[in-house]
Amino acid sequence: MRRNEALAVILTLLATVGTVVGALWYEHHRNETMQVVELLANSPLNGNWSPAALEVARGKPVRLKIRNRETVAHGFSLPDFNVGVTEIKPGQVFVVEFTPDRTGSFPFYCTVWCSREHMAMTGRIVVRGPLAQAAHAQ
Amino acid sequence: MRENYILGIIPENWRLEITRHPRVRAIFKSRWMPLSLLILNLFMFTVILMAGFFGGLSAGNYNFGIMIVWIVWWVVLMMVLVPFLSRFWCTMCPLPLFGEWLQRLKIFGVRPGHKMFGLNKRWPRSLSNMWLMNVLFLATTFTTGFITTRPVATFILMALIILTAIVLSMIYRQRAFCLYVCPVSGFQGLYANFATVEVRVKDPDICAKHKTKGCVVGNEQGFGCPWMLLPYKLTRNTYCGMCFECLKTCEYDNMAINIRAPGADLLVDQKRGLDESWKAFLMLGVAMMFFLVMQGPWGVLKDWANGKTLAGWLSFVAMHAGFNFAVLPAIFLGFTWAGHRLARAPGISLKKSFINYSYSMVPLGLAAWIAFSFGILLPNGSYVLHILSDPFSWGWDLFGTAHFPWTPVLTATMPYLQIASLLIGLLFSLDFTLKLGRQTYGKGETAVWASLPVMGFLTLATIVILWLFIG
Repeated sequence: MRRNEALAVILTLLATVGTVVGALWYEHHRNETMQVVELLANSPLNGNWSPAALEVARGKPVRLKIRNRETVAHGFSLPDFNVGVTEIKPGQVFVVEFTPDRTGSFPFYCTVWCSREHMAMTGRIVVRGPLAQAAHAQ
Repeated sequence: MRENYILGIIPENWRLEITRHPRVRAIFKSRWMPLSLLILNLFMFTVILMAGFFGGLSAGNYNFGIMIVWIVWWVVLMMVLVPFLSRFWCTMCPLPLFGEWLQRLKIFGVRPGHKMFGLNKRWPRSLSNMWLMNVLFLATTFTTGFITTRPVATFILMALIILTAIVLSMIYRQRAFCLYVCPVSGFQGLYANFATVEVRVKDPDICAKHKTKGCVVGNEQGFGCPWMLLPYKLTRNTYCGMCFECLKTCEYDNMAINIRAPGADLLVDQKRGLDESWKAFLMLGVAMMFFLVMQGPWGVLKDWANGKTLAGWLSFVAMHAGFNFAVLPAIFLGFTWAGHRLARAPGISLKKSFINYSYSMVPLGLAAWIAFSFGILLPNGSYVLHILSDPFSWGWDLFGTAHFPWTPVLTATMPYLQIASLLIGLLFSLDFTLKLGRQTYGKGETAVWASLPVMGFLTLATIVILWLFIG
């Protein structure tokens, strides 16, 4: 009985604490070599892309998580890096990965007619060189 | 139609004991049953809570918490667990688990002779019924526009339930939370009367001669009934949480799990009351209102329920509460009164007639929920493949299905499935109306006259629901 009690405690801890720790560790491990950026897709009247300007470093892979919190579909296009998502459905989180290979400020757009203000749904990705990135951080 | 047969086919008293097979009995006598299921569900709920917390205010269709709770769990509960397996969900429900473990100070084992940890107070007598659960269930449905669409709302609801269960278990004895507070418990209890499975005594004479009553007080093998029942006198599924402790504690192996005719308990005239009647109204009414709001073509109702404006949401609350708590019971009272007048039976009170006949709504109510569930499952079920691969919307693809597109399945057949469910429910309801009429008014024409208006109500309700579902 005592052995079963110990086993039950271990299984319970694994099911609860183990699940939380395991999931967070796995996510951390996945993102170690990436620049992870979350981008919220909102219609212009609901705040537009958030943040409106993203900043990343040149040469390091970027994992961009585009989260559509709204009840209309959005799209995403970053033409300068040939990155695009045809449709991000309501509630969906779409992950795109790319490696910025040049510095500068590059626009991105919503590509689905999401509202009357759709054409205003734009943002920018600013890619800085490693030195500029370090200086900016300071 | 033969009187003692359900639908004229299955004898009311027919039973098939599944625990007569030694291997099956061994499973239910083991303390790993239901603990293993509970631990598995703890894992599921941990993921649900995490997904709800990290999902925040996103729309819920790609959220593990929303999908598993309001699509998978609700559909399985209404289509499989309640109609066939009684309160088997309570067997594996992890929500009151921490409270119960705190009371026992054990996860696996038993502490015979030890007092439960906590204040062990008696639950107030005035609240020892389904009224509080009715109110809390209705109050929960007020938030349907949020909890079924916003992950963080599901997280808050689940966290509140778990915390309430823990606090109450430290104040009140045993499963007071499950018996008198849990919003999900009440309708499971009422609808479990229709279920095709039961836990019952095999031979009452053995119990009558047995003095120590391990099923009530507990022993080395298990705890006394946590649901504060007398298992040796169990006649209805309503308040039996199917924890199977009585199968473990019975020294004579005199407790059994039986397969039986559907609806057998609806004819057991014990502990019936207005609280359970109102639960039947609530469930039928909420099924109709949910369809109007969630699946109907009236966008303004959806906006009200989603709380786009406070005035709109308050309008929804007033309409929803008024219809379920007052309008529907009042209409039913009118039909029962008509039957009562037609029957001309002065010795029987209208209240008794009203309460007894209200149980005839159980099969139809369950059928309405099954029909409603088809409307959730078939169009939205494919989202489950996505959320299994990416439970926290972190861009994972655990099983390679994260990019499986939204694919409605068999939606063309949905109206036929809904019609079939409702007609089967109506058939059962009509059959039970007549049986309840005979129980109330005695055999003969009087019962038929009294039952006719109630049958009319049920048919009318079915037509309204059919119109709602298939236009």
